Amino acid sequence: MWDTKNVLTGSADNSCRLWDCETGKQLALLHTNSAVRTCGFDFSGNIIMFSTDKQMGYQCYLNFFDLRDPQQIDDNQPYLSIPCSDYKITSAVWGPLGEFVIAGHENGEINQFSAKSGEILKKAKEHTKQINDIQTSVDLTMFISASKDNTAKLFDSTSLDHIKTFKTERPVNSAAISPIMDHVVMGGGQEAMEVTTTSTRIGKFEARFFHAAYEEEFGRVKGHFGPINCVAFHPDGKSYSSGGEDGYVRIHYFDPQYFDFELEA
Amino acid sequence: QSPIGQIYSPTNEVNTYVKTFSPVSSFFPSELLDDILREKPQEADGIDSVVVVDNVPQVGPERLEKLKNVIHKIFSKFGKITTEFYPEADGMTKGYIFLEYAAPTQALEAVKNADGYKLDKQHTFRVNLFTDFDKYMNISDEWETPEKQPFKDFGNMRHWIEDSDCRDQYSVIYEAGERTAIFSNDAKEPITVEERARWTETYVRWSPKGTYLATFHQRGIALWGGEKFKQIQRFSHQGVSLIDFSPCERYVVTFSPLMDTKEDPQAIIIWDILTGQKKRGFHCESSAHWPIFKWSHDGKFFARMTQDTLSIYETPSMGLLDKKSLKISGIKDFSWSPGDNIIAFWVPEDKDIPARVTLMQMPSRQEIRVRNLFNVVDCKLHWQRNGDYLCVKVDRTPKGTQGVVTNFEIFRMREKQVPVDVVEMKESIIAFAWEPNGSKFAVLHGESPRINASFYHVKNNGKIELIKMFDKQQANSIFWSPQGQFMVLAGLRSMNGALAFVDTSDCTMMYIAEHYMASDVEWDPTGRYVVTSVSWWSHKVDNAYWLWTFQGRLLQKNNKDRFCQLLWRPRPPTLLSVDQIKMIKKDLKKYSKIFEQKDRLSQSKASKELVDKRRAMMEDYRRYRETALQIYQEQKSVRLELRGGVDTDELDSNVDDWEEETIEFFINEEIIPIGDLHHNRKTKLLARATTVYKYLILQVYLTCSLSFSPPVFVWKEERGALLLTGEGRQPRCES
Repeated sequence: MWDTKNVLTGSADNSCRLWDCETGKQLALLHTNSAVRTCGFDFSGNIIMFSTDKQMGYQCYLNFFDLRDPQQIDDNQPYLSIPCSDYKITSAVWGPLGEFVIAGHENGEINQFSAKSGEILKKAKEHTKQINDIQTSVDLTMFISASKDNTAKLFDSTSLDHIKTFKTERPVNSAAISPIMDHVVMGGGQEAMEVTTTSTRIGKFEARFFHAAYEEEFGRVKGHFGPINCVAFHPDGKSYSSGGEDGYVRIHYFDPQYFDFELEA
Repeated sequence: QSPIGQIYSPTNEVNTYVKTFSPVSSFFPSELLDDILREKPQEADGIDSVVVVDNVPQVGPERLEKLKNVIHKIFSKFGKITTEFYPEADGMTKGYIFLEYAAPTQALEAVKNADGYKLDKQHTFRVNLFTDFDKYMNISDEWETPEKQPFKDFGNMRHWIEDSDCRDQYSVIYEAGERTAIFSNDAKEPITVEERARWTETYVRWSPKGTYLATFHQRGIALWGGEKFKQIQRFSHQGVSLIDFSPCERYVVTFSPLMDTKEDPQAIIIWDILTGQKKRGFHCESSAHWPIFKWSHDGKFFARMTQDTLSIYETPSMGLLDKKSLKISGIKDFSWSPGDNIIAFWVPEDKDIPARVTLMQMPSRQEIRVRNLFNVVDCKLHWQRNGDYLCVKVDRTPKGTQGVVTNFEIFRMREKQVPVDVVEMKESIIAFAWEPNGSKFAVLHGESPRINASFYHVKNNGKIELIKMFDKQQANSIFWSPQGQFMVLAGLRSMNGALAFVDTSDCTMMYIAEHYMASDVEWDPTGRYVVTSVSWWSHKVDNAYWLWTFQGRLLQKNNKDRFCQLLWRPRPPTLLSVDQIKMIKKDLKKYSKIFEQKDRLSQSKASKELVDKRRAMMEDYRRYRETALQIYQEQKSVRLELRGGVDTDELDSNVDDWEEETIEFFINEEIIPIGDLHHNRKTKLLARATTVYKYLILQVYLTCSLSFSPPVFVWKEERGALLLTGEGRQPRCES
């Protein structure tokens, strides 16, 4: 939540939980029929959404709860529940003003679901394989989608216009947009079955930095010895962190040269 | 001229024979016919078991019995002779006989083995199946001129050599074999020349002078060439799996494990490329050591080794040289000199005769050098590319020891009587390679992880000098530049693609690099570029080929979806004379200037293109961001409302968010005895920071004075810039 008072978590234990950040006390427990894949607060912090997986005969649903209405929590009754029959949602974020949720699907589709009516406001089919992660820019005007099709793409949040593409040779597991520079960072890996063939390479899994406007890679940071599953910039843009399959979270602070670096234009 | 006359070699007896040739019926005097009829009818017609033997001595009745015994002795080896007939005329045998065997297979054996049998100086048997006569007799007497084939013009077959920037081509197979492309090599990026789906079903091969590209298909191979890579020729050989070209590009040899029958050996076929004709077929037991037929450098001869035999054939007749193979008991391996028509072969120890390496001149078969070797376990022959030197790697077990040591026996081919020098190697050999056009060789020896690279120079004064040894190398293969002097030592596959670029003129390591999991290294024909690649056939990820200069400077990384194989297109030998080359080398400075200018222009053009492209992209992006930010500003009121009036647009928007915190860092402990007092003077650094972390104020707490010093350092946090020191002093440096 924007004032860092509460935390919302979703888990494969078929529940979504609301916590008090300072005390760690569980404030609400919402049972689901299948694993919770993604969740988040809207801009105001009053509405929460989460998606459930297509599992054990249950479809994928995108559920909305208004926290100002305790009845919804007590009865475990979302005010809006959108079914996704075809391809399950694999990642989702709220739009800039809480009007819609931007969801990425198993087949590479990205949809805007209205948080009021549940209808699909806009669609985008740019990726060819599963969306692994969606992260917004700090002002929520754009977002970056990381996909198994070896690319990450930059979109405008409201229009869903496809703005930029960043190409690699490995599936991208996660991507983030710098809050202060025209940079994006991407982390990835390879198919689980191929991990053993490259596992002899210590410290060779890299976080890759691309220039957001030129779509060119300008730097890599080595260190993980397993595929990178998650990347994030610090809100002040002076550091970033990455979490990997190897069980480590790495935090890197940028050298002064990083901020001065420019590609010739 | 009767076609039958072509079967026999032109001896006087043959001419006599041809003249007396008569229609079939006279071959069957009634006695023979009765005999045949008396036999029980077999599955196959009896005629299939009859052979005709020609060039039999013509004898009178007194020697007939002896002749029959001799014939019987020779021909009963192949089966049971059921009937024999010796036609006579004027009291002498006619010179040809008929033998009938118990089964057609035996007749075939007789033809296969006795045809060409030399009875004595004047009589070499010619053996044929009787049924063959029928076949040949039915050839019409009328000679029909074959239809004239229209001339197929494929254009300039050397078109690629005329590229104005002298770019070399290379073939690339990718998408796991689905696509094959031909690129022109430019230092900036590859230029696509041709790209086709399913051009080949397995892999491709270039001909030795680069004229043809061979592709493989279930039904045979196809050759492509010319400016547009049109199909030049097609050779039908069902299930073909291996091919080999003659060095002159006149012939191609194809191998298919499927096509092999006793009557018509088709496992190996030799084709004439220009006419597309099948020249000869051969039987083949195993393709383990392809190519089975080794060509002499000028394409005049090709040879193969079978048990205890070396068979040398000549072109264009495709017949055995001197009509017989060489019997070399125990022959283990042979190879042609790449510069002359000399064959080197070796035989192992035999009882009390030591192992030996022999150099034999062709076609004279004169032994120009024989070298005895003792206690030999194995030998390998390595020719220098011009045939100037032969290195025989000899693995021996010296008397009284258990281990195996290796010697290199260096044969100096250009010196009188071919002197041999020996280099003893103390460690096991991993790789050996001659400098292609020079007199140096490189050796990788030792055992992982202690692998050493040694460079030797074969000098004119009879000495072989060790120039340099590099130890602890990550290498298992040696790749010399085709022009000599430079080379790459590579640790392929299990050694994870370690690369070392070496200049052997002074044996320096120019550059050490790595292409992780590289499986292949290929030099271009000019020796200017090297390609390292990770093939999908050996590693399923990161399939790409990288282009380097000969000095080890990385120029390009080309990722290709499921990249499999890259092969440079060979160049034909230069048309320049030695003098012309000398002239060009003399004027090299003049030419370099022109080329460098050209390169600079194209480089700046490239960077200008890139810069323009980037500028355009940035403008577009800025425009987009401006519009987005405008909308964002317009929505500010909505945001404020959603968060109950709290402005969260910037990290420091909300002043109430500022907090002061005190953090202690323990820096140092110093024990300084001051008279009787033992004070620990600890210095503590206290930091005061705001939650917005804009300024970090460090104060040093001095315990001896038990008070804070005035502020000592003040950093502006974002840039780490030191703003001021205590007592208002401006800092001198930033850190």
